[in-house]
Amino acid sequence: MISTLLICLFFITGISGLVFSDNIIKKVIALNLVNSAIVILFIYSGSLSGILAPIILKGNENIVDPVPQALMLTAIVVGICITALALSLVYRLYYIYGTLDIREIEKRIGDK
Amino acid sequence: MKKTDILDVVARKLSPFILLFGLYLVTYGHLSPGGGFQGGVALASGIILLLLSRGSSPVKEIFPLSAVNITEASGFLFFLLTGSAGLVIGGGYLSGFLPVGRGGEIPGAGMILLLNTIIGFEVGAGITLICYYLFQGEE
Amino acid sequence: MRRIFYILVIALFSVFLLYSVVSVNPGGEALQGKDFLLEKGAEETGAANLVTSIYLGYRVFDTLGETIVLMTSVAGVVFLMGKRK
Repeated sequence: MISTLLICLFFITGISGLVFSDNIIKKVIALNLVNSAIVILFIYSGSLSGILAPIILKGNENIVDPVPQALMLTAIVVGICITALALSLVYRLYYIYGTLDIREIEKRIGDK
Repeated sequence: MKKTDILDVVARKLSPFILLFGLYLVTYGHLSPGGGFQGGVALASGIILLLLSRGSSPVKEIFPLSAVNITEASGFLFFLLTGSAGLVIGGGYLSGFLPVGRGGEIPGAGMILLLNTIIGFEVGAGITLICYYLFQGEE
Repeated sequence: MRRIFYILVIALFSVFLLYSVVSVNPGGEALQGKDFLLEKGAEETGAANLVTSIYLGYRVFDTLGETIVLMTSVAGVVFLMGKRK
């Protein structure tokens, strides 16, 4: 129970960083925090169903459930792709507007 | 930023072993912890270590940008061709057509070894390409 | 004013998140899938590593889509970061 609450705290940290910070790079870092919280939650709840790694050698009976690990493999790769694309979008915004503040960028987009 | 001798020597001596470990993760992905995605990222990290310590122009002589591009695109082409071969030989798209062993031998893995190798090279080339473009304003 | 509104939204979100996570029981009875994979997974796909036998055997179309996502992201990075003529 305490582990699940800590993972929830991790997730809420990511969401509040996404909402409160004005810097775009900090928003990308907060997006990564949310992704990591989801991955940790799935791996933790899958790890409660056994002890050993899901590799069948002789005598391995008490393995963990391999389905959440396979799902989170997809989530990690998609997270890497999203981070790379978001960082290059941040680079283009900085190249055009010369600032990383999202309020400032919104104001200048509205002025045009 | 000033580069010290320690960084230079450690990066140049460590990078071939990281590439070798990435190939091990790719080819033994069905027997031990590892697989295509993990091994591909390990392959890319060996190249990125060289890129961070040596600068981008010596690395682009060993791993040229056009070769990385072609590896990325043709990896996806080979993935689609493997699926179509399953369609021609029997079953449906991406169905296994190679003989399946008992699990625990390298050649007896059906098409998992083939797909693991293709995915490993494609992911390695993709991450390397992203880092080439993200690091391009360095020098 | 805007900051108070943000704090309210985060608090409401956390209450619903905590309620839904606490009320669910992790590691419940859904273990038939694991037993099936333990019994049949290695001999149907030929891989001793069950995670590999899932993402390249039973769910290979998922991997195909994942590869498409990776290639699209690389194409986007190359388009956004390339040299401007």
